[in-house]
Amino acid sequence: MRDVAIIGCGMTKFGRLEGKGLMELLVEASLKAIDDGGAGDRDFDAVYVANFAAGELTHQTGIASSLVDQLSLLPAAADRVENGPASGGSAIKNGFLAVASGAHDLVLVVGGEKMTHVDTDIITDIVATLSQPETEYVHGVTLPSLVAMFTRLYMQHHGVTERHLAMVAVKNHANALKNPYAHLQKAVTIEGVMNSVMIADPLRLYHCCPISDGGASVVLCPADEAKNYSDAPVRIAGFGQATDTHAVHERENPTVLKAVQLASKRAFEMAKLMPGDINVAELHDAFVILEIAQSEDAGFFRKGEGAKALEEGKTALDGELPINPSGGLKARGHPIGATGVAQVVELVWQLRGESGKRQVKGAEHAYCCNFGGFGNNVVAHILERM
Amino acid sequence: MQELMVGFKCKGCSMLHYPRHARCLRCKGTVFEEVELGDECKLLTYTKLYALPEGIEMTPLLLGIVEFPNGVRALGQLKGDDIKVGMRLRPIWGKIRKLGEKDIYGFRFEPFYSPQ
Repeated sequence: MRDVAIIGCGMTKFGRLEGKGLMELLVEASLKAIDDGGAGDRDFDAVYVANFAAGELTHQTGIASSLVDQLSLLPAAADRVENGPASGGSAIKNGFLAVASGAHDLVLVVGGEKMTHVDTDIITDIVATLSQPETEYVHGVTLPSLVAMFTRLYMQHHGVTERHLAMVAVKNHANALKNPYAHLQKAVTIEGVMNSVMIADPLRLYHCCPISDGGASVVLCPADEAKNYSDAPVRIAGFGQATDTHAVHERENPTVLKAVQLASKRAFEMAKLMPGDINVAELHDAFVILEIAQSEDAGFFRKGEGAKALEEGKTALDGELPINPSGGLKARGHPIGATGVAQVVELVWQLRGESGKRQVKGAEHAYCCNFGGFGNNVVAHILERM
Repeated sequence: MQELMVGFKCKGCSMLHYPRHARCLRCKGTVFEEVELGDECKLLTYTKLYALPEGIEMTPLLLGIVEFPNGVRALGQLKGDDIKVGMRLRPIWGKIRKLGEKDIYGFRFEPFYSPQ
């Protein structure tokens, strides 16, 4: 396999982007990445478009074919990649494999979702269809309800308190204030989070990410050609992907995110790195408990010690392992198909030293976890400065 | 009308599943027999859901994950006011919601000595 580099990246602002449709978001993010990579005059071999539910949310299908036409990248190969909330991670993985294998040389990966024009009830239902149809969905399960049951177990078994949950939200909102691309540009307090409205006991409104619009994109090429395009390319050092049972109740220990463990282990093995080598991480905090649980199952902290690390400031912007400097899904926002790509975009900026006020000093190795379904399909990537 | 909940026991390796899978999660066997899960289970975790899906009549919707003595777990709606982790529950068949125009039936879980 060849080494693969990210030579360009870009994203739209995340948020309630009235007047911008899905295709406009995909085009905007793609053009930013293509320009950033100095590839404006180049033909691309393939385009991977990460998207969760264009058909259901925006009544458009075949969006990858539409995008290459818009971008004048014909006759590039074009595919939509759907892996629920981990669509972005999966699309990057597909792009990585295409270049690593030698099948393609120049690949565009873009993720996007247009959501805020649709009623929250309908979005909640579309997302709920990720759950197991006969034993979860039919009973009235929504993603927040699964997370709530997981949170209750986690609080019972792993020493997480309501205050810890609030601390994740406070930290990530504070980081987002330093990120001009973030959806929620508002500081929150521990008390504010702990008194926010109950969505699914013990899960409160401020434990959840917002519904957002947005797009994010990266350009990939073989690492040995990267310097022809970019002064500061970033290598994809490793990826890992793993799946787990569809029904959450079938997991041997429902508080263990086994797919996060396996995906991370594979990524670290491929990168020949250890969790202790990582300087900055983007985790999939669609719900705050997930940041704590993933920080443990990815291998950064022992099971049951993630909350303590958070409390000690280890995961803060100036801590030993800053987590979600972008604000995470919690505050940067979660346009579902864009999220996994946006995580990588943030880490590329961090490794290039271009993250402004949220810059993690001297970051050389970065990790991200993109979490599909309720942890039944997880993609992890490790990036490094070249 | 179904009396008892059933799980799916792999004929090859005896692993119990709920729900059914096309192939056994342990040995990849494809032949299963239905086994009754029993009339008593224990509550592992639960939530009171306030942001309700359409067609649900219970506010808030009580959802929980239970475990049967044979180790099989299931998710379902709960009935009762004083819900606590660890409490004993039993599966009861009935209408659980409307989906579109259709009434959906299934098992929900209720305490043994329900006040009603």
